[in-house]
Amino acid sequence: MKMKDSVAIVTGGGNGIGEAVAKYLVKNGAKVAIVDMAQKNIDRVVGEIKAMGGEVIGVQANVTSEADTAKFIKATLDAFGKLNIVVACAGIIRDGTMLTIDKETGKVTRKMGLDKWQPVIDINLTGTFLTLRDGAEAMVNGGWEGILVPISSVNKVGQIGQLNYSSTKVADALMPKIIVGEFQMRGIHNIRCVGVAPGYTATPMLTGMNQDALKALLHEVQIGRLVEPEEVAALIGHCVENGAIDATTIEITGGLCYEHGIAK
Amino acid sequence: MSKFTYNDAEYIVEPSGYDIRRVMPDGSSSLVAANLYYGLPVQEAEAKAQALVKSIQPVGIKVVGPDITRPNMIGDLKIVGPDISRPNFIYWDKDSTSFPKSS
Ligand SMILES: NC(=O)c1ccc[n+]([C@@H]2O[C@H](COP(=O)([O-])OP(=O)(O)OC[C@H]3O[C@@H](n4cnc5c(N)ncnc54)[C@H](O)[C@@H]3O)[C@@H](O)[C@H]2O)c1
Repeated sequence: MKMKDSVAIVTGGGNGIGEAVAKYLVKNGAKVAIVDMAQKNIDRVVGEIKAMGGEVIGVQANVTSEADTAKFIKATLDAFGKLNIVVACAGIIRDGTMLTIDKETGKVTRKMGLDKWQPVIDINLTGTFLTLRDGAEAMVNGGWEGILVPISSVNKVGQIGQLNYSSTKVADALMPKIIVGEFQMRGIHNIRCVGVAPGYTATPMLTGMNQDALKALLHEVQIGRLVEPEEVAALIGHCVENGAIDATTIEITGGLCYEHGIAK
Repeated sequence: MSKFTYNDAEYIVEPSGYDIRRVMPDGSSSLVAANLYYGLPVQEAEAKAQALVKSIQPVGIKVVGPDITRPNMIGDLKIVGPDISRPNFIYWDKDSTSFPKSS
């Protein structure tokens, strides 16, 4: 499927990887709906895409809401008349261990609360589900060729301190297998599903962190630097155009190596 | 440049490439859409802009929770919580003036 003249929705398109994906698609001739919770982010990215001469709409929405999801799908169809590409980039982290133990007494002093667990599940898992579900519904009903892209993470293998996040990202990584299997069962042959699992990516979240901690992270990366959001975007662009890539999740990590086993 | 009001918010349709801006309560503006209707006659662009704004900002979506101005009563008892017999529907194409309260 060509990126040129296609129509895309990018959730979390107001920052980081989503922003890079939206801009990459526009540069290659797609029309894009930027969906984000943060109006400030939408304004900036829509303004920048406009300056590039791109056709774009910005929709403020919470991906965890069914009503908001219906809203941004409808807005996209109203503006551009069809839908071909759905990239579910909206995601958050709320790190912490499941239990915190007091060194002196050996007893539990704190547990990961639902305040840390639930928002991560709601946005990264339920939000991705709703975005892909309603995006696919529009594509099927409209008869348009399409691709669904959940965003996983290399931490799908199980990152300590991220029981919540890793649980969502392993689920996101599995989605293409199940969704494509169901499409096959239902006789849908023109919509693919391909997940992308980035490693440490140079979004403001990472570049802004403690520089010593960042250096330590880079020891694990074979290419010795962070992955650029534009490189993740280019991979997604390739997945759009290469019609044989389907029902899988592709890692883009710069060669992440585990020095101390899988759970670092 | 033309203006229209929808659901208590003011919108501006700009002629250069027909950007749509929403005027925020503090007077600043936020970009809803850019470069959409370039080359279309102004009236047509404005009609399309209005239709788009209605689906981006559907009336009813900001209604969250029970309508406290119209509490549910069982006898003297005031019931707090949503009235499932009178839910807050989401109307895609009707604004608050075209869909007045029914009781
Ligand atoms: N940055 C990394 O190193 C990295 C690595 C692997 C995977 N990822 C994944 O890539 C995705 C994007 O990450 P990023 O680093 O670009 O993040 P980011 O924080 O830079 O951007 C995320 C965007 O999503 C928006 N958002 C958050 N909650 C939302 C909600 N409920 N509804 C709508 N929008 C919402 C935010 O406003 C923000 O603009 C996430 O799913 C993340 O888990 C990131």
